[in-house]
Amino acid sequence: MEKQFYFPGSEDKPKINFDPKNNVFEIMGNSYPEESPKFYIPLINWVTEYSNYANDKTHVVCKFEYFNSLSAKLLYELFFELQKITESGKKVSISWYYDPNDHFILEKGQEYKNVLEIPFDLISY
Amino acid sequence: MDLNTTFWFFEKIKDDNLCLLYNGLISDDITNKLIELSEYNINNIEGLSKMRKKASFLMAECFQNIIRHGEMVTDLEKHMNNSFFLTRNWNDIYCIASGNLVLKKNIHTIEAQMEVVNNLNKDELKDLYLQVLEHNEISGKGGAGLGLIEMARKSGQKLQFEFEDYNKSFSYFYNQILLRADEAPEALSISHSPISDAVYLHKKMQEKNILVVQKGDFAQESILPVLKIIDNNLKNVFESSSSKKRIFHVIVELLQNISKHCCKNQKISEGIILLGQSKKGYIINTGNYIENSKVDALRDHLNKLNSMSKEELKSLYFSKLKERYVPENNGAGIGLIDLARKIASPFVFDFHPIDNQKSFFSIHIVA
Repeated sequence: MEKQFYFPGSEDKPKINFDPKNNVFEIMGNSYPEESPKFYIPLINWVTEYSNYANDKTHVVCKFEYFNSLSAKLLYELFFELQKITESGKKVSISWYYDPNDHFILEKGQEYKNVLEIPFDLISY
Repeated sequence: MDLNTTFWFFEKIKDDNLCLLYNGLISDDITNKLIELSEYNINNIEGLSKMRKKASFLMAECFQNIIRHGEMVTDLEKHMNNSFFLTRNWNDIYCIASGNLVLKKNIHTIEAQMEVVNNLNKDELKDLYLQVLEHNEISGKGGAGLGLIEMARKSGQKLQFEFEDYNKSFSYFYNQILLRADEAPEALSISHSPISDAVYLHKKMQEKNILVVQKGDFAQESILPVLKIIDNNLKNVFESSSSKKRIFHVIVELLQNISKHCCKNQKISEGIILLGQSKKGYIINTGNYIENSKVDALRDHLNKLNSMSKEELKSLYFSKLKERYVPENNGAGIGLIDLARKIASPFVFDFHPIDNQKSFFSIHIVA
């Protein structure tokens, strides 16, 4: 079993907790590091590795405050990598939380929902 | 403010390693952020860090003066309550200035206090300080005199000051101190930056309705404190978190573009950002040097985005989103595409030729 991917979060980077053992997959907070790729590529590689022995159901919870355009692009790559897990018949879904007053995060969620082929729920909190 | 305002300010402060100008309400909240940002700036300039403590102390005194005097005008219209704060650095000199409205009938008293403070030597200032501590006030307004004495003591210099007519009952009271890293303030001639420069910059900010001007290094670590100030200010201005976030987004994208694409000056990602208001909304201007060889590509990209409909921009955005990330092409310009989708009017921009190598690129966005 692969070990957990954990990042505590910072002012410009999200908190990430991808923990297969406890079946928890969370990403939350702000994301606008200038070097977004340096931050996200290790996580994307982790998911590629995880897909080899993924849990039957992987449910990813996203709760963003704000992210920049390059993070948006890398998040798409992350979701796409997660989506690939379903090719082996396993289930992957995403819950996208947004503040009802915050159109920015809602619109970004709608965009991902439109381009992805896995269950993608927009949930107001 | 329009597109040309950017270059106007950039020229005025072109020798500054860093410059922060603020024209707005000054509260304890904003004060802390402004001090934090200035401290960050000081720490990042070689030779300046040892004056950080002193500079922070003096800044805090400036703000306390503003807040104390500001209380007298709280009943006035809000726009009248704009105070001014400035920190600048060039060579080994650090300059702190502030300005706030005072009642005209108090000018005489303030002037008299300044005269007293400026005519005392170090020991006399210490005596006066203790005397005021003991007998409480020398000014009618609690402790304002004490702040001035402390500023004179800590800076070891004469305080520069000036009054500027505002209206029938009010004038702006400006004061300024210069610090030098090598602690030899006697040698400091005020011809370096007369207080009239500060007054002039503030006037221009008021005339153009500008809230913040920051010139300096826009590498990621340096923009975080700037973003904090802006974030804080936006919180006070906007009810809706959507418009706040949209503006924040424009700023992040523009600053990160500067950091990535500007023509580096001794490894520093030098740039300028101006944040202003108009009837149409918030205005964000940025400016930075760019290599002449990159001008055509950027101009074409911006013109192309300006000519596209929202639908076309949307499909371009999605195609870029789905493209595999390749480090060489730096995100494939997705930032500007995203901005073009979010803003109401087309990008307004200009390339001002500087020399054979570089041009000054400025962009103006109403968000």
